[in-house]
Amino acid sequence: MNLTKREVKGRYSQSFFGIAWAIAQPLATMAVFTLVFSRLAKMDSNGAPYPLFAFAALVPWFFFMNSVSSGTLSLITYRNIVTKTYFPREIIPLAQVCSRFIDFFAAAGLYVLLMSAYGVGVGVWSLMAPVFFLLLILFTVGLTFATSAMNVFYRDVNPVVQIALQLWLYLTPVAYPLAVVPPRFRLFFVMNPLSAIVEGFRSAVVFNRAPDWTLTVISASIIAAVFVSASVMFKRMDKYFADVI
Amino acid sequence: MPLAIQLDRVTKRYRAGRSRTVVDLIGSNIDRMRGKAQDVHSVTRGRIDTVIWALRDVNFDVPEAAGVGVIGRNGAGKTTLLKLISRVTWPTSGHVRVAGRVVSLIELGAGFHPELTGRENVYLGGGLFGLTRRDIDRQFDRIVEFADVARLIDTPMKRYSSGLYARLGFSVAIHANPDIVLVDEVLAVGDAAFRRRALEALRQLMTEGKTVLFISHDMWNVRRLCDQVLWMEEGRVRAYGAAAEIAERYMSEVNVQALANQSTALQSHRGGTGEIRYTGVEIVDAAGRASVLFAPGDTLVVRASYQADRPVARPVFQVAVIDVDTGLVITTATSRPGDAPDRVDASGSIECRFPRMPLRPRQYVLRLAITDSHQLASYDLVSAGPRFAVSGRGTGVDGLADEEDGLVSLPFEFAHHTGDVRVFHQA
Repeated sequence: MNLTKREVKGRYSQSFFGIAWAIAQPLATMAVFTLVFSRLAKMDSNGAPYPLFAFAALVPWFFFMNSVSSGTLSLITYRNIVTKTYFPREIIPLAQVCSRFIDFFAAAGLYVLLMSAYGVGVGVWSLMAPVFFLLLILFTVGLTFATSAMNVFYRDVNPVVQIALQLWLYLTPVAYPLAVVPPRFRLFFVMNPLSAIVEGFRSAVVFNRAPDWTLTVISASIIAAVFVSASVMFKRMDKYFADVI
Repeated sequence: MPLAIQLDRVTKRYRAGRSRTVVDLIGSNIDRMRGKAQDVHSVTRGRIDTVIWALRDVNFDVPEAAGVGVIGRNGAGKTTLLKLISRVTWPTSGHVRVAGRVVSLIELGAGFHPELTGRENVYLGGGLFGLTRRDIDRQFDRIVEFADVARLIDTPMKRYSSGLYARLGFSVAIHANPDIVLVDEVLAVGDAAFRRRALEALRQLMTEGKTVLFISHDMWNVRRLCDQVLWMEEGRVRAYGAAAEIAERYMSEVNVQALANQSTALQSHRGGTGEIRYTGVEIVDAAGRASVLFAPGDTLVVRASYQADRPVARPVFQVAVIDVDTGLVITTATSRPGDAPDRVDASGSIECRFPRMPLRPRQYVLRLAITDSHQLASYDLVSAGPRFAVSGRGTGVDGLADEEDGLVSLPFEFAHHTGDVRVFHQA
């Protein structure tokens, strides 16, 4: 998609390292997490090497966070095409999400290198990774539709989203496994579809075992509901974008 | 004839003012608790609920393959009309029906990204107009050739001049295979050669059966490109009909309104040494009535009164007609013996007649001066005197057709000879 290309090119043009910045973010965070959670807090990573354990969750997390973060502002950023030309407006937040694919795959490539460095093999359950990637995309797109559309009407949405994303990282089992969450908080984590997604990625590419099917099905239903209602909402609000933006 | 565009009782209302904030909400609740009338306060707090009626009850149809000019003052609703037709925005009430693919040129190159090259932006912009990569591949050379940017096509567009930017934007749009093209005063950028080519391209689209809606303040272009003109005024359709007639009525009215408001006082800061000064200037028609609007071929009379503070020998009175856009048309002066007295020492007046004035429909301003007998030193200089406009067909000058463009109407004749004719000036 052309708008995606525009976004990616715009982001990395006039930068010396270019696409290398796409992997710097999860890599640096992984290093800090390893220091803080593994070395200092002695966090249990279910027997897997902690850097690998964290990285497998950080890559989908940053895909989600960056997409929602820039996607929320996307309709405002592209105000001149919203008010000057007609085309399906969904393309604008969608292009933001798509432009993060390249970061995701660059980081995923690095992950494969890390796996061989730690001597972890690729197993048959890694075939589940695309399924979780699909869930991740659906959830990210749905949420971005909702936040970007609402942000057109009330700019308060953006600061709320930015703060929520900061906190969301710690309320998602990225730095720690879902297993360490006490039972009385567990429902809260189950309602967060990102829990199933990051745990799913881990079971696929770190532990090579079957995902938690119950958790996955619950999350998939939540994701489907979010996606459908956000798409409907976006379509309804679409008519008024050019007037209020 | 099938319709390309149909507007049925279309109304568009915008909310003006700023959007509501939490302070407003708290404020209005406090007011309510105190039992005050709310509306009074919401007005003083920044007029939150003001509405603007951009369009009111607009009905009009455009047949396929028509060229329609949209004219009117700023804020008349022209751009809103185009945005509704292009589906950028939706009507508050009423229906807009459009048959075919619409390409709107509300702003040229709106979707371009300055960091990308011209080539990449052609694909990006074309994509926004709904073209596929293959469509663009096929049209690419034509797009670049039309915009005349081949040299810079692989340069990031942030290095382009604004004219080049607009040219590429226009070129992509008209090659997007539209059925309906909406043009909003975008040809003002770009040089004269490009403007001409752009107009030709739009005319070409019309001959191919495309419909063109063209907003412009340039009546000349509107009349050349469009068969029909839609005159918008304060959100309503003021008139819709034959281009020449509507454009003419519009120009007359604009001129009268602009000229009726002009100050009658002569400018206070004036040139000259001041021994003798103009005290009043008036433009009248052949019958002696004050007027600001003339038709080509009318008689125009300038009457100017003056006051001399001390005796002045052989003053020369000058009256110059200046075209507001292009400059001096003529300077007349009382330079012949008997035009003016040899000596003035009190008040008086002069009158300058322009019989059967051969001016074209444009706006003019008078420049008046009083100089010494050599027309070197000036006693008085009014550089911006009263204005007047020429408009309409009028009686014509010696039967000249009204269609020729230019500054003045010169009488002309053509002759035609068959066979070999000796050419005197070889090119």
